[in-house]
Amino acid sequence: MREPESCDEANMNYYIDPEVYKKYKEQILEMSQSVQINYAENIPPEKRKPGFSDQQIGEKLGLDPSVVREIRCVAERDYYTLDEWQKAIEFKDQACREYAVKGVSSVTKKYLLKRKAKD
Amino acid sequence: MSRWKTGEKTEMKDIREKSDKVKIRLTLEELAFNSGALVFGVADALKFKAAPDGYRPSDLLPGAKSVIVLGGAKPKSGDWAATDFRHMELSSTNDRITGLCMRLSNLIERKFGYYAVTVPPGVDEGQKPFLNISLAAELAGCGTSSLAGPILSPKHGFVYLGALITTLELPFDQPLNEPSCPAPECIDMYNSNKVTPCTKVCNIEDGGCLGGKIKNGQWEDRVYDVAKCTSRVYNHWIPTFQKVLEDTLEEDDLELRRMKINSSLFTRTLWSMTYSNISQGQCFECIRVCPVDERTRKLR
Repeated sequence: MREPESCDEANMNYYIDPEVYKKYKEQILEMSQSVQINYAENIPPEKRKPGFSDQQIGEKLGLDPSVVREIRCVAERDYYTLDEWQKAIEFKDQACREYAVKGVSSVTKKYLLKRKAKD
Repeated sequence: MSRWKTGEKTEMKDIREKSDKVKIRLTLEELAFNSGALVFGVADALKFKAAPDGYRPSDLLPGAKSVIVLGGAKPKSGDWAATDFRHMELSSTNDRITGLCMRLSNLIERKFGYYAVTVPPGVDEGQKPFLNISLAAELAGCGTSSLAGPILSPKHGFVYLGALITTLELPFDQPLNEPSCPAPECIDMYNSNKVTPCTKVCNIEDGGCLGGKIKNGQWEDRVYDVAKCTSRVYNHWIPTFQKVLEDTLEEDDLELRRMKINSSLFTRTLWSMTYSNISQGQCFECIRVCPVDERTRKLR
């Protein structure tokens, strides 16, 4: 394993060198489990996949943990474009209004009808 | 000459100390419940083994013995029933529970003479919470974790949580035996439709954040898209500010730049950021349809 890339080597002041960012972004997102699968701390240890910590990723990629942290934070923010933020407004507006009218049956209606037919 | 043999003396001292700790705990509980808490529990500070290095109670407070967890300030039934989702952004925050934790911390230090630290509600520079309060709540028997993430109290459903770490050793609670999630209704629905209310409303395969399978009455293969959830929970908040700022600085067309700066997305983000200095949850849709919480908010 090569020596960790330090903050200075990565040209990091309060920000990360864009080239270093591009090089490691995908790997770090994957290793830190940006999309969490069985991540939660209440899952039994044998089934749990907590993702690697910045320290562990740093050791595997030969990067300083502070560089990993910086890349991860920027990458998490970069993950979705602004459109997703605009779409979120529509999603919540629709879900909230449907609930206000129908309550939980706004999401369970088909299921309840199915069950009623079965009974 | 003492009437007590040495062994008996030690036993009596132990009993007295235990009784003192029970009394202190009762004092703290009383203050918490009288001040509006709905849930109170104490976790053993040494039981946070699932937390990563650097994020355990003794990393915040050396010599930590207990983690006290408070829950409450839950949105009112009317808040959930309101037709405008933005209403919840402004009425629901964890600051009241954090404030109560501060009161208990002060009491522990001033009256009982032990160190106490209220867990800060924000995140560190790595965007990680200083202590996983959900884990603390589970260890303290305040509730169990839901597929959607929030801890659900069997009695009160979704509550805001706060925690404080102290060198005072108190009688500990144990994690609950029965998970609140999935609820029997959700298991029924899953067996029929392969979705539950929360995974129906915010399904990861349909542009949402959540997914999972129920096997033998328990969740397996939980999938959670953090970045997607961030776009909903912090819809008009710091991430939006950063993204619009970046987009605007890259915009060469002055007219377009003006449209972006004055857009409703950016304007509302600035309003939200100036409403308060605390983090506001801005998406509640998975919990809005949660049967565990829903049964706590039925009114006329």
